[in-house]
Amino acid sequence: MKPAPFEYVAARSADDVVAALADGRTEVLAGGQSLVLEMNYRTRRPARLVDINRVPGFDTVEAIGDTVRIGPLVRHQAFESGAVPGQLGALLHRVVRHIAHPPIRTRGTMLGSLAYAHPAAEWPAVITALGAELDLVGAGGRRTVAAGDFFLAPFRTARRPDELLAEVRLPVLPAGTVIGFAEHRRTHASFAQLAVIAAVTLADGRVSSASIGLVNAADRPVRARAAEAALLGRPLDDPAVAAAARAAAEQDADPGPQPYTDLAYQRHTVAVLTRRALDQARTEG
Amino acid sequence: MTIGARLRRREDHRLVRGAGCYVGDLRVAGCLDAVFVRSDLAHGDLRQVDLEAARATPGVVAAWSSADLPFLPDTPPMMDPESVRGRPWPPLATDRVRYVGQPVAVVVGDDRYVAEDGRDAARVRIDALPVLLDPAEAADSPVRLFAGAGNVASEKTFGEPIDEAVWQQATVVVEATYRQQLLAHTYLETRAILVRPEPGGGLTVWVSHQAPHRLRRDLAGGFGLREENVRVIVPDVGGAFGGKSETWPEYLAVVAAARRLNRPVRWLEDRAEALTGPPHGRGQNQRVRLAADADGRMLAYELHIDADVGGYPHTGAFVPMATSMMATGAYTIPQVSVRSRAVVTNTAPTSPYRGAGRPEAASAIERTVDLLAHRLGLDPAEVRRRNFIGPDAFPYDTPTGFTYDSGDYAAALDVALREVDYSGWRSEQARRRREGGVPLGIGLCTYVERSGAGEEFGAVEACPDGTFVALSGCCSTGQGHETSFPQVVADVLGIEPERVRLVERDTAVVPSGIGSFASRSMQTGGAALHRAAGKLIEAARQRMAETCAVPVGEVTYDAGVLAAAGRSMTLAELAGTGQLRADNTFAPPEGFPFGAYAAVVEVEPELGEVTVLRLVAVDDYGVVVNPLIVDGQGYGSTVQGLGQALYEDVRYDPDGRPLTRSLLDYLIPTLSEVPALRFAETRTPNPNTPLGAKGAGEAGCIGAPPAIVNAVADALALDARDALQMPLTPYTCWSAAR
Repeated sequence: MKPAPFEYVAARSADDVVAALADGRTEVLAGGQSLVLEMNYRTRRPARLVDINRVPGFDTVEAIGDTVRIGPLVRHQAFESGAVPGQLGALLHRVVRHIAHPPIRTRGTMLGSLAYAHPAAEWPAVITALGAELDLVGAGGRRTVAAGDFFLAPFRTARRPDELLAEVRLPVLPAGTVIGFAEHRRTHASFAQLAVIAAVTLADGRVSSASIGLVNAADRPVRARAAEAALLGRPLDDPAVAAAARAAAEQDADPGPQPYTDLAYQRHTVAVLTRRALDQARTEG
Repeated sequence: MTIGARLRRREDHRLVRGAGCYVGDLRVAGCLDAVFVRSDLAHGDLRQVDLEAARATPGVVAAWSSADLPFLPDTPPMMDPESVRGRPWPPLATDRVRYVGQPVAVVVGDDRYVAEDGRDAARVRIDALPVLLDPAEAADSPVRLFAGAGNVASEKTFGEPIDEAVWQQATVVVEATYRQQLLAHTYLETRAILVRPEPGGGLTVWVSHQAPHRLRRDLAGGFGLREENVRVIVPDVGGAFGGKSETWPEYLAVVAAARRLNRPVRWLEDRAEALTGPPHGRGQNQRVRLAADADGRMLAYELHIDADVGGYPHTGAFVPMATSMMATGAYTIPQVSVRSRAVVTNTAPTSPYRGAGRPEAASAIERTVDLLAHRLGLDPAEVRRRNFIGPDAFPYDTPTGFTYDSGDYAAALDVALREVDYSGWRSEQARRRREGGVPLGIGLCTYVERSGAGEEFGAVEACPDGTFVALSGCCSTGQGHETSFPQVVADVLGIEPERVRLVERDTAVVPSGIGSFASRSMQTGGAALHRAAGKLIEAARQRMAETCAVPVGEVTYDAGVLAAAGRSMTLAELAGTGQLRADNTFAPPEGFPFGAYAAVVEVEPELGEVTVLRLVAVDDYGVVVNPLIVDGQGYGSTVQGLGQALYEDVRYDPDGRPLTRSLLDYLIPTLSEVPALRFAETRTPNPNTPLGAKGAGEAGCIGAPPAIVNAVADALALDARDALQMPLTPYTCWSAAR
């Protein structure tokens, strides 16, 4: 479990990173919590690492207007200690405590998790549900990709090998939004078997908008549009929640083979977790 | 009296501060690192091993296949040579590979990084053969793993065949099939060996091991060396659990490499190697039938075992036999018939794993007793009581060939029921069934196990400076011998335990030894030291008698001081007149510790998640020398049992490729999963040793899994339990409940 030979460069600026990535055989080292493990197993053999840990400004979280911008070196732990204010921060806080355990959360980064695109990771489904935008920077310049277009398959994204995932922009949750998160896993520190994220905005007692994300329910993070539609215009009551849970399980989820489960149990679990996430949203806000 | 004192472990001063010294911590000048080119196919004909590019890799010192090392001995069988006959295990594959991970070549480099680079440069061609993974299937398959030898490496029967009429005439017959899943040993420290050739052809071997003297014998025998020229030293060991008793293929290859290069070479197994094995533990298909009368009195028990022992029948082949001999547990059953087969499959070879056959036996009988109680509508505690071997029946000859030394099984069960508040939980269960609530279950296990085997060496020497040295042939792999063995010696001598220093784990200092496995250290090794200390007093009295010219009967001994004819001398003073030491080898019979476990669980009805609310362990280890240490082993083994019950599972894909390659895939319980544990004891001294200790340390792996599984079955009120196979994942419980 020792990595294959690789070169190492420490970047001091975003330009350094982009320059290093230009060869197409360099990978970004942020927290290293997934990349280094894979290198130790030699399932990844980057010819070179560009270390972004010393790039000034990469660790900033910035709220501008109705958007929160998150840089490439913001650790998971930041979301436990209130880096993001308001209800969006509360949602991220609720989610982050399910990511691995504290030592990993102090190293691993949100953008690293997004770029890695592990099927059981929580952040990809969060940003997909919330309709976030991602900025990719390469030698050819900067481009923006919607979260819904970013994730292509397990461990595959729209990021090109010569691009840095430079920023993710999350929309602030509007007033009147309630949030919920429910996860199913086998031990405290193991990967999610399934998880559901919900952010539901109520106006005059009825659902005016809903964002529901499913973790590990398909070959990529799912925005549960059918479940969201089942809620729109209705009060967030038992029948609406049940309809959303059913829609999430039957229409939005597209599970595949996984250990210790079958397709029926996975769909059943999606329904249960969707209901729990929505129940949490309406009871705990 | 220091026996029974809860002394803190001396060794923890260094171990918990990170100051321990494991094989991987040793700094031996010029040491090279070995890694192995391993088969990536589970079964195939080895056609070609091309190491040219490996040898050309910068930093690689050597790369050899079996063709390059013609004098490499086969992996020695540790026991039951019959199952090994016709099924040799070359340390580096010669013509056939039989499991993924089997070593095909060894690459030695300046460090582990470059050695792995060399490994990756090796080119191996293997032509795939059909893969056998299930032992029952393999037993009958026309595909043979070994030409000229069947896939059933050994088949044994115990008890007597049961007439079909017994089953037909009994009031009730319950039947079930159980799977004991394959487990990984998951020691904190993986296997490790460092070999330094010495001038004159000898070897010094540092190794993470349980049985240094046996390893010395195997290495000397395998390489044509005299035993006294092989020194085996076991530094601190981070857990063994039965996986470090063996002389593994990698060890032989490392010795060969070190000798050929005439340089120190080490192999530090990594976690990926450790999880994919060998060794693995457990791995049994079990089929049971139990007949009883209307009162739940057992009439006949039949157990059929097909054990998957992996690609080579090694120490794992003995495990199903151990299961067979413990089949009837705590019960008198008039008719018993057991058949066990050890079957080769294309998984990694197995070895004993903490409990080594007894967890498998306890699980089969204890799950079946609960099924019987459920079928008859009787309380499972009551059904157990009606069938226990009575406290006055000892020594008790079991139908499978053991003689249980002592026990009071009903007493242990009563303590467990009281400690868990059995009647209180039964009321709560009834209330929930009546009024609704999360399904709640209570599960019991009353086990008997076997501990100790064979002889052990122990010696005690008095030193002129007032200290004492205790030498033992045992080999602590984390059990705390440095603390507990001096307690035994100090107790006999009537002195402070701080004055006794233990020496073990070095074949150059300890003349002989068997080692530490089968819960034998205190029962056998402790008893040997107990006797040695007594002999030391006798030797001292003899010398005092000669010094004072009085009959030995006139010499008194008290707390390290001898007195006769108005004179007194300390043991230290007497040792100043010439070496004062007593050696002995003691071979008490096997011991049979027992106990009762009770688990209370909730099974979340929507997703099937199991929450263990209470887990009570009542163990009877006879005389306990250090209750603090024994409690610690109780925690460890009980949590390992929890792991088998709920989480752990070595898995393969249909082609025999391991799916559990990291601790992200192979889940072990962590602190977050540990439930409220409660320990209690009964105390029935071992009648066969003056010390009175029985083996401790494996009981939790034996008692906890069936108690938890029975509790889940009880919560779900299952009529048929075949669907409830360990590990009880949420999906398993959800499926079983439907």
